Amino acid sequence: MWLKGDTLLGKRVRLITGLFGIAFGVLVVRLFFLQVVQADMWKERATSQQLYSTSITAKRGNIYDTNMKTLAKSVTVWTVFISPAEMKAEQRELVASGLSEILDVDYDMVYDKTLKVDRYNETIKRKVDNATADLVNEFILENKIKGIYLSEDVMRYYPYDNLASTVLGFTNYDGQGAYGLEAYYDKTLSGTDGIVASVRNAKGTAMPFSEQQVFDAEDGQSLVLTIDETVQHYLEKHLENAVLEHDVQQRAVGIVMNVKTGEILGMSTKPDFNPNNYSYIYDDKTREQLEQMREEANTDQEKEAYLVALEEAQNTQWRNKAISDPYEPGSVFKLITAAAALETGAVTPNTQFYCAGFYEVAGNRISCWKNGGHGALNFGGAIKGSCNPAFIMTGHALGATRFIDYLDKFGLYGKTGVDLPGEATSIMHDKATMLNENKASLSSASFGQTFKVTALQLMVGVNATVNGGYLMQPYIVRQVLDSEGNVVSNTEPTVIRQVISAETSATVASLAEKVVSETGGSGIRAAVPGYRIGGKTGTSQKLDQEGDDTILSFYGYAPADDPEIAILVMLDEPQKNNQYGSVIAAPVVGNIFADILPYLGYEPSYTEEQLSTADIATPYLINSGLQEAQTTLMQAGLQYRVVGSGTQVVNQTPGAAMPIPGGGTVVLYTDSEAEGAQTAVVPYVIGRSGNETNKLILNAGFNIRMEGESIQHEGCVAISQSVEAGTTAEIGTVITVTFGVQGMALPE
Amino acid sequence: MANVTNSLKRKLIKPMSGQMDMVFFLLTMLLLVIGLVMLFSASYANAYYLLGDSFRYIKNQMIFAVAGVAAMLFISKVIDYHIFHRLVYLMMGISLVLLVVVFFMPALNDAHRWIFIGSGNYSISFQPSEIAKFSLVVLFAHWMSINPKSTRSISGLIPYFAAMGAIMLLLIPEPHLSATVIIAVLAVIMLIIGGMNLKLLVAGAFAGVPSLLLLIFIMGKWDRLMGRVSSWLDPFLDARGDGWQTIQSLYSIGSGGLMGTGFGNSRQKYLFLPEPQNDFIFAIVCEELGFFGATLILMLFALLVWRGFVIGMQAKDRFGSYIAFGLTTQIALQVILNIAVATNTVPNTGIGLPFFSYGGTSLMMLLGQVGVLLNISRQTKPGSE
Repeated sequence: MWLKGDTLLGKRVRLITGLFGIAFGVLVVRLFFLQVVQADMWKERATSQQLYSTSITAKRGNIYDTNMKTLAKSVTVWTVFISPAEMKAEQRELVASGLSEILDVDYDMVYDKTLKVDRYNETIKRKVDNATADLVNEFILENKIKGIYLSEDVMRYYPYDNLASTVLGFTNYDGQGAYGLEAYYDKTLSGTDGIVASVRNAKGTAMPFSEQQVFDAEDGQSLVLTIDETVQHYLEKHLENAVLEHDVQQRAVGIVMNVKTGEILGMSTKPDFNPNNYSYIYDDKTREQLEQMREEANTDQEKEAYLVALEEAQNTQWRNKAISDPYEPGSVFKLITAAAALETGAVTPNTQFYCAGFYEVAGNRISCWKNGGHGALNFGGAIKGSCNPAFIMTGHALGATRFIDYLDKFGLYGKTGVDLPGEATSIMHDKATMLNENKASLSSASFGQTFKVTALQLMVGVNATVNGGYLMQPYIVRQVLDSEGNVVSNTEPTVIRQVISAETSATVASLAEKVVSETGGSGIRAAVPGYRIGGKTGTSQKLDQEGDDTILSFYGYAPADDPEIAILVMLDEPQKNNQYGSVIAAPVVGNIFADILPYLGYEPSYTEEQLSTADIATPYLINSGLQEAQTTLMQAGLQYRVVGSGTQVVNQTPGAAMPIPGGGTVVLYTDSEAEGAQTAVVPYVIGRSGNETNKLILNAGFNIRMEGESIQHEGCVAISQSVEAGTTAEIGTVITVTFGVQGMALPE
Repeated sequence: MANVTNSLKRKLIKPMSGQMDMVFFLLTMLLLVIGLVMLFSASYANAYYLLGDSFRYIKNQMIFAVAGVAAMLFISKVIDYHIFHRLVYLMMGISLVLLVVVFFMPALNDAHRWIFIGSGNYSISFQPSEIAKFSLVVLFAHWMSINPKSTRSISGLIPYFAAMGAIMLLLIPEPHLSATVIIAVLAVIMLIIGGMNLKLLVAGAFAGVPSLLLLIFIMGKWDRLMGRVSSWLDPFLDARGDGWQTIQSLYSIGSGGLMGTGFGNSRQKYLFLPEPQNDFIFAIVCEELGFFGATLILMLFALLVWRGFVIGMQAKDRFGSYIAFGLTTQIALQVILNIAVATNTVPNTGIGLPFFSYGGTSLMMLLGQVGVLLNISRQTKPGSE
């Protein structure tokens, strides 16, 4: 070992060893820093470049009515597109003719697109259904065509078109909820998209030995509404008729609720829209105006103005007026004033008032709707006759403090909190001002003027005056289901508070029944034979705008002795027959009740009086104007049905001077072509109950006259009919049905 | 000087009876096996995608490894290291010639580093810089052993620096930064071990480093150097370009974490990290084996270096000691530089990891050098010559 003698070399080797030791140490520290301290950061960055993910679209949940009828669902549709770059030149004409035929599109449009040889994706038609897509595939296969493709897409479909459209809303182009329930419950309905994550190499192709992770899409949940498609249908039918008949300018609102639970059985604003094609303007007049604007728009400014107007028109037709537009409730609100006054003892049903036709408050004369006034009347009469001075006095007796207190308790400040988007806040008098001033706003507010609430808000409050005194939380989704149909959550009826006692509520209900049931009641046109209905009319002046435009409304409830179903109809700016709510809004509510009460399982019970309803001689209407004929019939207490689109009555059934039971329907023909046309087959009613018979005959389009003494008795059924079943008769024909207990001998 | 070589003339090629250093041998074999296994793991994705045969790299490497181990054992047993006293100038001459020849060879990645012989499947390629490093070690050991005082004076040092300078002058224009640096550091370390005055070293560093930079500048490689430096300081400056390899290496190392993703489970080797079988194989090692595995391999290398130095300390003469120190230092420098590059501790220079990186001829060279070291270890005991 030579080295023992060389101490310098030993030192130098130790020096170098030490330096290497330090170097290795530095590297270990560096590795520790990268792999332990910063590991997460690097891992995350590496993962983000290694993972390649594609999303799986979650299926959007359906919307059902309360009986599981599908109101909205998602369906698979196809987009047909061509790739001109891949298409053979000699097949262009074939493609153009084939696609234009199958897809019902323009030949030239397709042919022009086939010429864009540098393009790979030219859309021919969107939202093509499965059957048509199959035809396209067949066409491709048969002719061995290259360059026609179909891509799958999801479309929201509303099977009932316009039905409840302002409530349901719609989804936008990207499938996201944009309006109505679709927007409010978007998160619930849309679910969570899934992800397929696979490890990819740097070129983006899957690796040969790689694993793939699938996070399944969680499909959206479905909503079960409190809305009943049948109720909604009748509500919309009668509302739509009212809009047409009275030329309602600012749309009409109708709501049907269960007063005991707060469930919304129907809610509509007319005119509305078809959510399957939501951008189209459905109001003819507005659409024509817009068309004209578009055609005449030359400058940018005009084009801009057109777009603004279009957007406004769309927003208007989409708007759920029932919750978004507060209005002055008018006399319907008197039920709330009445309930508060009766509850506090400020008045009793027998408190006497005197109506001179006006009432002076702080030097201002407030008129009663009835010229000359009601004269002497008690509080019940004030409700029945909707007397403004009596209610001003009632408001004064109640006093501002208690009045405000009850406005609050009836939920008229703020919002109802219903599960719908776009609910507006009420516009109320400032509490302090009302307390301090000299009764001016208290006076007008006590009969429902000078403040604004939404239709739903008013209804929820008024419901509490007749349902035993409970302010119920209104709601529209009663159940949420998962994608397999299991119940995720249930909405239970919620009592917000008891506002008045059950006794007071019963008093209000019985007083308001007289509005409909008694001669001279302002809501008598809402009466439906066989049912006890109560209600209150409403006429409000639009005080905050020029002119004498009014809002006519009617609130009705049934059965009056134990209210369960209530309807509020509000017509904003009717142009024809726009007298008072009693004339046009009440019959709308009556018609809806007549249709939905039997459907909802309420058996009619006819009073002796109703059974012996004196026949009315049908007035002669031929050659009179349609509007005039309608007014005549309404004044006579008859319903009507118009066949044809003319303006002149050319024929009628039953004919003039023929007897028809009060409340019956006269069919008016307005087109000469339709003369004598409308007939129907008379149904077989023997053995049926009064209710069933009524429904069968009316649904077939005939009038019914009920006879027989024992109709009130249990087991009473139809035992004969005046027109034989199976024969054809003109609609409107009066069919007399005799009732009796089965097996009972026919009266001679 | 002639005495030394002549006296050994007849004994230089014959089997030796002395026992080789088993610790060094086993560490070598262990690192070689781990290296081959990791090469397979690191290379198969690239081999699959780019060559269509997952086993291409590992098959080639195995052939050279087997041949290399045979050569190592043969050299350690039969070739007396003193033979290099005689071959030293020939080797140095061949090195310089090959370093000139390399400029007439096709460029790879804009650099002339490889000499290609043959064509197609039967081609072979190697870097003359590998031979130059070995030649330099032998040359320095030769000079330092026959004239130990030569390192103590400025005039005595002139030949050393001349030899070193000649090699570097040829390496810079290739360009081959890593080899240049290794030659310089290797030469300096050998001179330090040889007893060079450290004050002189400091003075030399003051003169040498600026002149090296000047040389790089004159030879037009300044931009390349600065490019490396800037992407070292912030690889994300040009994440898709110059910084890509470094970034991908950091992703690999970092995502290994403490325990690694497990053998074979690297994701980064799937075309993200360029040439994972070559200079950046350690990044894949870190990703698959984690901090623990990487540290373990570093410790094996450290042990190997330590054992190489032990052989150097125990060698029977100065020549053996200096060769042992030189060859061990060369391995140590390559390991340190390679891992420092992979972890972005120093700027990116192309250098392989001994026993791990793909490259048949360089692996054979390495194993041959280990054979020389083992031969030195056989001759430590007195009487074993």
